Amino acid sequence: MKILVVTELRQGKWNNASFETLAAAQQIAKDTSSTVSALVMGKGVAAFADELAAKNVAEVLSVQHDLLEAYTPDGYCVALKQVIESAQPDLVLFPHTYQVRDFAPKLAAMLGKGMIGDCIGYRNEGGKLIFVRQMFQGKTVADVTFAGAAPWFGSFQSGAFRADLLAAHPSGKAPVNAMTVAVSAQQIRTQPLDLFKEAKSAVDLTQASLIVAIGRGIKAPENIPQAVALAKALGGEIAASRPICDEGWLPMERQIGSSGQTVAPKLYLALGISGAIQHVVGMKGARTIVAINKDSNAPIFEIADYGVVGDIFEIMPALTEALEKAKTS
Amino acid sequence: MTVQRELLEADVLIVGAGPAGLACALHLANLIKKHNTVGGKPELSADNIYVLEKGREIGAHQLSGAIMNPKAIAELVPDFEKSAPLDTPVTEDAALLFTRGSSFRFPITPPPFKNKGNYVISLSKMTKWLGGLVEAAGVNVFKEFGGAELVYQGEGIGGVITEDKGLDKNGKPKDNYTPGYELRAKVTVLAEGTRGSLTKKLVTAKKLDNINPQSYGIGIKELWDVQPGRIATGYVAHTLGWPVSTDMYGGGWIYGLSNNRVSIGLVLALEYADPQFDPHAAFQTWKTHAFLRKLLDGGKLVRYGAKSLPYGGWYAMPRNYLDGGLIIGDSGSFLDSQRLKGIHLAIKSGMLAAETIFEALRTGDTSSKTLSAFPKKIEQSYIKKELWQVRNFHQSFQHGMLRGFFHTAFQQITGGRGLIDPMRAHEGHEAYNKINGRTGALGDEAAHSKPERFKGDGTLTFDRLTDVYHSGTRHEEDQPCHLVVKDLNVCATKCVEEYGNPCEYFCPAAVYEMAKESNGSAKLKINAANCVHCKTCDIADPYQIIDWVVPEGGGGPNYEGM
Repeated sequence: MKILVVTELRQGKWNNASFETLAAAQQIAKDTSSTVSALVMGKGVAAFADELAAKNVAEVLSVQHDLLEAYTPDGYCVALKQVIESAQPDLVLFPHTYQVRDFAPKLAAMLGKGMIGDCIGYRNEGGKLIFVRQMFQGKTVADVTFAGAAPWFGSFQSGAFRADLLAAHPSGKAPVNAMTVAVSAQQIRTQPLDLFKEAKSAVDLTQASLIVAIGRGIKAPENIPQAVALAKALGGEIAASRPICDEGWLPMERQIGSSGQTVAPKLYLALGISGAIQHVVGMKGARTIVAINKDSNAPIFEIADYGVVGDIFEIMPALTEALEKAKTS
Repeated sequence: MTVQRELLEADVLIVGAGPAGLACALHLANLIKKHNTVGGKPELSADNIYVLEKGREIGAHQLSGAIMNPKAIAELVPDFEKSAPLDTPVTEDAALLFTRGSSFRFPITPPPFKNKGNYVISLSKMTKWLGGLVEAAGVNVFKEFGGAELVYQGEGIGGVITEDKGLDKNGKPKDNYTPGYELRAKVTVLAEGTRGSLTKKLVTAKKLDNINPQSYGIGIKELWDVQPGRIATGYVAHTLGWPVSTDMYGGGWIYGLSNNRVSIGLVLALEYADPQFDPHAAFQTWKTHAFLRKLLDGGKLVRYGAKSLPYGGWYAMPRNYLDGGLIIGDSGSFLDSQRLKGIHLAIKSGMLAAETIFEALRTGDTSSKTLSAFPKKIEQSYIKKELWQVRNFHQSFQHGMLRGFFHTAFQQITGGRGLIDPMRAHEGHEAYNKINGRTGALGDEAAHSKPERFKGDGTLTFDRLTDVYHSGTRHEEDQPCHLVVKDLNVCATKCVEEYGNPCEYFCPAAVYEMAKESNGSAKLKINAANCVHCKTCDIADPYQIIDWVVPEGGGGPNYEGM
């Protein structure tokens, strides 16, 4: 059997899951007396091809094309289809990366084949390869195998095989064979833009030393800027009890309590928060708690160091103004 | 968008790891083991039995008083006394009549309240233990997976689709989105407990209703650690009277567990007239009775929970078999409403289902033809005997305690027949009186005064949010609301006028709240993350527009020790 491993480069660097899949392929090859070819694809990949050649593989296929410099599902599928038709592997293996999830099923479908994705292992049962994949969030595993003729497509989950067990080439270096593929710009229907990373949530309330938290007493989203202004004047972060985040008036990452963040700032200013136990468990560790609430019976006053029975809409602006004044004088 | 679902095939799929579902799984695994040992054909495997459980772990959503009659568990696990977490045998029975100021003990404990030979248990611990045996027998129990949809097949059912995971509030996939699995089974067993969400759909779709609709009660429970010497281990008391008025049906329980732990609770039929009646407040008020005050003084609340229970009995039992499907446990009305005991009947119904399924797997015929053996087995078992004697019991109380005692006296001497047999029942929510005028029209601020909410003193009595906290309830916050209200306009207009929004009162977890919009109109706000999965809203909503569906698996209360 001939196994082809499709490795992955992203922005001129290896995706290390490639080596795990290569290690998986080596083991399968050993179990089934097969050969392994490793494929690297992109632009200017000679050094990467040499790196692969040092591993125990029969050959390295290197595919270079200007249009493969940036990843596009169309470009990759057009190129890989040609590679597969010419190299004629029986089994094509990928690391189960986001990129592979994007194009590999499409590639398999183009060739009229199925794909077994996200496998964590395999078994050789009398020459028949069984792939193992998780179900029910890892609570059970299923055995899956291919029906129909080769080539078969499969991908391995990251961490399923150990890259450090990758065997080196016995005689030093495997041959590197360049393959040419025809890809035209018309075939590529998408235009890659700059890569972006999802912005991490900007706020880490657990690190904040001053928190101004609002509750139902704020009444309407229009009133939130008043509390934000106060937080700014204090140099603190704005946070809220559940109903506020539930309504979408503030993002969930600013929620304090049993279903949100647990915080222990130096000062916790609770504005219009009744103090239900669900909220209190998230902030009772604060050094100093100041509560302002209309209802003198509100349970928040039981844990507050300082309590003001009053209207937050009178107190918030006055406090902000006083703070600003103190700063400028 | 059509969702591509992974398909899994099993011989038997059991929805719900409560006493019924687990007993079914264990008994079936035992029968299969025996069958394979003697070389029975075809060879069967317990590996092909799947159990779904929406809780974080087995037992997480189990709540009961609980007193267990051990006769069914003794059949299922003959040496159960060696390893089962039986807290204590019942040592003393008492029936108490409460008035506001005092309590009277009935000189003779009435027979239905006699519990000699029974055990006081934690149902959560018991099911956890049973679950361990089930898993050891090779059955796959999938925790944190709920049954969301039925797969219909011909005249019957062919499996279940589990709930989609990783959807956001608006139903859009998040990064961790995993579509639910389609589980196909030769036999699907609905063991969802009280007011099962799939059972409800199936009973409606296939018209499986019996002559009476199901009647329900709500049980509200707290577990306390009390000062030493306040209550004997194994002491069991049931209370009648205050604060439950005579036009309502209900009563309290006080069970002494080991190590100064006490289980207390109040059960009330969900068929009262005042739509703004608050069962949670009634339970809290009950705790202020001198008898309980003395018991709980200096003690500490450990855990809280609430659950509905099916009262309807024999005449409300849905048809419990169809092609590829069976209904067992509370979902199938296997509860004795007079003694308020269902654990042994749940277990027994699970075992009889297992015997039925085993025959079906052995013969390869899982159609209703083979599965119809299930109701026949029930007829011949003590389930029928027990439920038949009390077949008219609960209906007698639908018009209050006094009429109830009158009827049940006759039933007692006629083996359950009484004066009318079968006695019909109505759906509980039909009992509400309209409150038109009482709280005034919408927008009329002066007249629109709602009953004041119970606040609690923070030591003996608690408000609902504090109690919910003690239920350990947790849900993924960013998920579609699992309390599907068909028409929110009804809540904001018609219900305000006609019934004064009972959902704000009957929910023991403060899920429903009529919030005022800035323009003065009312809008229903659903705090779904508080939900303790009691199903009361699905039952008691006067317009029947609330549909309780399974939330993302793993969400819900944590009833450890309950």
